[in-house]
Amino acid sequence: MTPQVLMDGLVAGAMIGLGAIGITLTYSILRFSNFAHGEFLSWGAYLVLAVASGLGFLAGGPASPLGPFSFGWTLPVALVAGIALTAALALVVDALLFGPLRHRGSAVIILVMASFGAALTLRSLLEFIFTSKPMYFTSALQIARPLGGGLRATPDQLLALGLAAILVVAIHLLLTRTAIGRSMRAVSENRQLAGIAGIDVRMVIRTVWIFGAGLACVAGVMSGLLVQIRPQMGLDLLLPLFAAAILGGIGSVPGAMIAGLIVGLAEAMTVQLVGAEWRAAVAFVILVAILLLRPRGLFGRPE
Amino acid sequence: MTPVSDAAIVLATRALVSGYEPDLPIVRGVDLQVTKGEFLLLLGPNGAGKSTLVKTIAGLVPVHSGAILHDGADLTAMPPHLRVRHGLAFVPQTENVFTTMTIHENLLVAAQVLPRERRAGRIADLYAMFPDLARLKALRAGQLSGGQRQMLAVARALIVEPSVLILDEPSAGLAPKVVQDVFANLKAINAAGVTTVLVEQNVKAALAIADRAIVLVEGEVRLEGDARTLGDDAVVAELYLGSRHRPAEARR
Amino acid sequence: MIDLLSYGAFFLSVALTYAIISLGLNVQWGQTGLFNVGIAGFVAVGAYVSALLTTPATADHLGGFGLPVAAGWLGAAVATGFVTFLVGALTIRLRSDYLAIATFGAAVAIHLCILNLQSVTGGPFGIGFIPRAFAGLADRPVAFSLANLALLAAVVLALYLALEHLARSPWGRVLRAIREDEPAALALGKSAVRFRLQAFALGGAIMGLAGATQAHFIGYIAPDNYQPILTFQVWAMLIVGGSGNNRGAILGAVVVWGIWALSASAVAGLFPAEQQARAASLQIVMIGLALCAILLWRPRGILGEARIMSRHVLRAAPTATPPPSTKSET
Repeated sequence: MTPQVLMDGLVAGAMIGLGAIGITLTYSILRFSNFAHGEFLSWGAYLVLAVASGLGFLAGGPASPLGPFSFGWTLPVALVAGIALTAALALVVDALLFGPLRHRGSAVIILVMASFGAALTLRSLLEFIFTSKPMYFTSALQIARPLGGGLRATPDQLLALGLAAILVVAIHLLLTRTAIGRSMRAVSENRQLAGIAGIDVRMVIRTVWIFGAGLACVAGVMSGLLVQIRPQMGLDLLLPLFAAAILGGIGSVPGAMIAGLIVGLAEAMTVQLVGAEWRAAVAFVILVAILLLRPRGLFGRPE
Repeated sequence: MTPVSDAAIVLATRALVSGYEPDLPIVRGVDLQVTKGEFLLLLGPNGAGKSTLVKTIAGLVPVHSGAILHDGADLTAMPPHLRVRHGLAFVPQTENVFTTMTIHENLLVAAQVLPRERRAGRIADLYAMFPDLARLKALRAGQLSGGQRQMLAVARALIVEPSVLILDEPSAGLAPKVVQDVFANLKAINAAGVTTVLVEQNVKAALAIADRAIVLVEGEVRLEGDARTLGDDAVVAELYLGSRHRPAEARR
Repeated sequence: MIDLLSYGAFFLSVALTYAIISLGLNVQWGQTGLFNVGIAGFVAVGAYVSALLTTPATADHLGGFGLPVAAGWLGAAVATGFVTFLVGALTIRLRSDYLAIATFGAAVAIHLCILNLQSVTGGPFGIGFIPRAFAGLADRPVAFSLANLALLAAVVLALYLALEHLARSPWGRVLRAIREDEPAALALGKSAVRFRLQAFALGGAIMGLAGATQAHFIGYIAPDNYQPILTFQVWAMLIVGGSGNNRGAILGAVVVWGIWALSASAVAGLFPAEQQARAASLQIVMIGLALCAILLWRPRGILGEARIMSRHVLRAAPTATPPPSTKSET
């Protein structure tokens, strides 16, 4: 096994971790597994691609690569817009679908089923608009540079890792140190009590969608930058995301990231040792193991 | 009921009908009037709808018809968190503190309603009022005893300096000695000017600290009167104070 | 006229194979409240097991064993029942949506297995020459399709009667009691888990049987037949028909399959060839929207929910202390 496996696994794992944070946050506040979360990754990637292409067109041609990276200035700008647009998408889905079901007091499983329908709709809409042909943020090729110790990484990969680390620390501090974080923890423990303690529960729910969808957009763009953009990418990532969220312990942000890295590394090792065609089974094996051995996850509280 | 001027009424319900399911009203047309500064006791047999009534006032149970008025405003359609900001504080019977948070965090959460500059001062006021809480402030609320938990729940409700404090059976599950402390606290809070509405099963002790009492039966007001004289009423005696069995209910 | 008749028989036969899946899902969801998102995977297990058991021996993959069709169907039901039992045993004690995640994962894993284990399943090429029932009639198309339709109708009818009987049996009553009354379920403890697990495995076995009937009706199976879209379609069928209602499950299958076939031919007629793949995704958008719309506006389906379905499955239990008075006084 080469050290390269480590780098590939970490990069993929960071991306899975960011997506899993969104799942764990929506789960701990809204109390259901959102099968549509993967679609926020795909929509995020496509929205950023659309904005970046639009900016490139206005600027009269694709922007030249920034420093050592494979992409030009349009991508970071488009990422900011894409985060906002993906968050808006999540808010719209909530307003049209989950909100009404929540207010009616629907059972958890009805919300899960609704998320299932939403996932189907969102994914097929992407396929209709962009077709199922893979797309790319950039056509520039990057050469992996040696980092010492036999480890090699492209500048894009290092950037993705750095960005993921910053985002995890930021979200963790926000949850533990700020008023909105306390409100989120309060709603997560007891929504009714949070309301009579003066917390605007609807505002907290909106905040959670914004964070979850925003992180999903970043993860989707990373995946698109390092691999490719396809309408199915969210569906393919959904199982690794759920595995990471449960392995990390529902509600735990650092847990989701660490578990994401574990899932990513396990996938990279499987590709190396067993074969790429079995990559998708890794998340299922991890899921089965965690449900058998420790259903509350590594850092979760017992239910 | 003695007629009172509208200005003195701080909380009222008008023909209030409410319940969890649309086809199953639990509170069935209650007219309630609470005067400023009074200590009102809500009594009634199990299932009379007392708890549902106060939860409806707090915004936790859907209103089918009627209205809830507080300090001249109509709260009927207002979400719970705005009722708190309006000065209507509620202490539920169970699950009334955030068990995964420390005492201090519980108070911080509630203080978020206040303007930033007043938060620390108000929390300090409450620590002065409940020195036990100050001593234990770094402890997780889940680790507290029943009495301490109740104290924290009341302190949490008082953070916003409410005009009306509503409590749902605060003595449930507490040892008699602790109940005395809780009631003494409530009496003191009421004496400090906070209008108090108390749902209680612990009838004798509660009648001793209340000004007025209302008896709910099957979601309707059955009786209403002065707390000192109501204890002598035949219906109340039959429902609560006499023998353990309740003929009026058993026949239903 | 003859064409119309054979097409009608063909359409109804396919719809009835879906009706079987839908009946299986109704045992799991409608009667027991267990959410299965891996239907496609379980149907695939049934189809492949039956195909391997009944096809003639070949060098391309494991088997076949050349057994009679009936043995294939039985094997499919048993094998799929066992697989669903394992998945259920893993999660049925945990939160309700962990079962959804686990079944979703199982479907992904099953799809991967039939795709990659080429020596067993034929891999991406699938398995062909699956023996069809009434093969002796193959040279008389109308008689052949009508005989197949009659066979499938008989299977659906038998299943319907058996499931209706089961719902009224002591076993069905216990399931209902467990679902409607959480305290009773808690009091039953371990045996409540066992009852739900039995229902989940039974539903899975029926899905496996459905996979087998489908495989033998079409005569050819491949991994691509068992994509998540199949799961979505069956859910739409049960939800449209009304969960908890066996007649609804059958009617929903016919209605949704009809809409699906109609919209597919509309896509074929309205869009130029190079745009058809794209337009087909609109069909799926439609199913997804329909699923959400029904959940929002007609949560009890078109036929409505039979009295068997509990309100508790659709409504969350109040999170605070339950209102002490509500039921006892009315």
